[in-house]
Amino acid sequence: MKSIFRNCMYQGKNLYRDKSFLFWTLIYPIIMAIFFYTAFNGMINIQLENIDIGISSENPIAFILEEIEIVKVHKILEDEINEKLENEEIQGFVDNDLNLLVKKSGVNQTIIKEILDQIKQMGSLNVPMEKFDFTVNYISKTNQKADVVIIIFYSLIAMVSAYGIFPGIVTVILIQANLTNVGKRINITPLRKNEFLLAGIIVSLILNLLSNGLLLIFIKYILKINLFTEIKYSTVFIIMGNLFGVALGMFIGASNKQNENTKTIIGIMITLVLSALSGMMSPNIKIELDKSIPVLGRINPIAIITNNLYRINLLGSTKSVSEGIIVLSIYCVALISISYVFLRRKTYDSI
Amino acid sequence: MVVKVKSLVKRYKELIALEHFDMEVEEGEILGLLGPNGCGKTTAINCILSLLSFDKGEIEIFGKKMTPNSYDIKKQIGVVPQEVSVFENLTVRENIDYFCGLYVGNKAIRKEYVEEAIDFVGLKEYTKFYPKKLSGGLKRRLNIACGIVHKPKLIFLDEPTVAVDAQSRNFILDGIKKLNQEGSTIIYTTHYLEEAEMLCKRIIIMDNGKNLVSGTNEELKAMITTTEKIVVGFSSIEDKEIQKIKNIPHVIDIEKREDDYIIKFENGLNNLSNLLEFIKENNLTYTKLYSQLPTLNDVFLELTGKELRD
Repeated sequence: MKSIFRNCMYQGKNLYRDKSFLFWTLIYPIIMAIFFYTAFNGMINIQLENIDIGISSENPIAFILEEIEIVKVHKILEDEINEKLENEEIQGFVDNDLNLLVKKSGVNQTIIKEILDQIKQMGSLNVPMEKFDFTVNYISKTNQKADVVIIIFYSLIAMVSAYGIFPGIVTVILIQANLTNVGKRINITPLRKNEFLLAGIIVSLILNLLSNGLLLIFIKYILKINLFTEIKYSTVFIIMGNLFGVALGMFIGASNKQNENTKTIIGIMITLVLSALSGMMSPNIKIELDKSIPVLGRINPIAIITNNLYRINLLGSTKSVSEGIIVLSIYCVALISISYVFLRRKTYDSI
Repeated sequence: MVVKVKSLVKRYKELIALEHFDMEVEEGEILGLLGPNGCGKTTAINCILSLLSFDKGEIEIFGKKMTPNSYDIKKQIGVVPQEVSVFENLTVRENIDYFCGLYVGNKAIRKEYVEEAIDFVGLKEYTKFYPKKLSGGLKRRLNIACGIVHKPKLIFLDEPTVAVDAQSRNFILDGIKKLNQEGSTIIYTTHYLEEAEMLCKRIIIMDNGKNLVSGTNEELKAMITTTEKIVVGFSSIEDKEIQKIKNIPHVIDIEKREDDYIIKFENGLNNLSNLLEFIKENNLTYTKLYSQLPTLNDVFLELTGKELRD
């Protein structure tokens, strides 16, 4: 126990003084947050006025749209559509398949489109429409972002929670005699590998969670975006994301003989691809994937975290929490076990 | 016997890195493993320490079979690897304290040992420095401190003076003598024959993964035919006169190195006076002339046909 504590202390010092670790886990996520905030700032700061939407009276989403404060719903007949669009009495017409008919493009039309995409996504994620508390959660009550930006931020948080990958890689390469000189030295001391690895996992989790915390503080207090309404489950998913990151880092570190830089690049690529698929680069990718390959959202760890943060905090739904935690736990156990098998060997053929 | 290695064989696919390598180390001695780069010294050390797997052979340390799980043996061993093997983001003191803590649990004793190690390697003024801020020589000293801080009974030093300045080199060599005087048994690998001659009680000369010979400095030199070398710088000399030199009693060979001639003699007395007499008789003049005793390089040369530094 004492040995693990000492290892935590020194591995922690070694890690938080590592400039590349600080960049990827602390600076880079803040840069990304600023970038997304700036890129979508125009959209975020749109003065939301009443948007006139035409809809047929039997359309099942009529009641949802009516709940949205900025939307004024006009129930019209099909033969009135063209006329009302021409006269600009309505900015768009929503048919029963949730397609949007417009005469010209503009901010209001974009907002209607985003709202419809959101509703479609909810449908594809099997979230009951009655739980779709669109107005209360993110338009009028919090007076903030459109949903598209929120997805990006949840995806960003999911990605950086997985940045435990970097300390995971460092921990593993430091114990391998064929990869680092320190590894050589440690392997000839009486220190047991599993003590070093356990200390590495603990330190990686603590440091990455701290950097996640700083990012969340930055988003909440500097960018003034309130992402979390449900702290308990959100924390669980962020911790699971961290554990997944550390486990993936250990796996990348243990499974090949590449140097630290190459392993780091592999880690960055994996997290970027998984994050892009979960909607970080463009929420439309996520919406399309959720429609065409729904299973991807259920196995992509970053998407699992993104979706759950979204559902928990915006929709108040905890339906998929258990499934998400189970899938992430399976990933963590599998990755750590495989890594341990790789690391278990005691002697090397060459160093 | 502190270390006993019997018929160690290590292959890297087709390449034989160690071929029936034998080694025995007595308690309290400094054993030198001398050989050119790539001869298998570090491989032998890594096999002995159970870092590397090997194909055949037996290794015992402190009378027990050495395995990767021999933590009780590892506790009594200190290793100074060839490469500087420290944490880049820990200070000098933190590095020494970290590695000491892997062996010494008691905090008060550890603190005392760390201070002693810092003093021992002369890094007192650099305790708060990070390794990247240290010169090559100071890094080597830190590397040594991390390996010896826990006062091990057996110390492996793998070429600790490679790429260090003369001042640090002398400091390191004096430190190794001191460690030995304090009771540590030392296994010292080097390709610098002067270091081996100066430090080691016994020397094993290695080449191509083989243990060629072993013995004390004197025993090794006694194994070769050359007992004396005389270096002469002639102002001018012709080939026929060089041939005549070979007829001087006890001369076994003459070779030209740059502007000088090195004349090798086997056992015999008055070699220098015989040569001076020859010079006088043949009206030769010389710019320099001095006698040398054979070195380990001569031993290596005679055993392998090549220079140690080739």
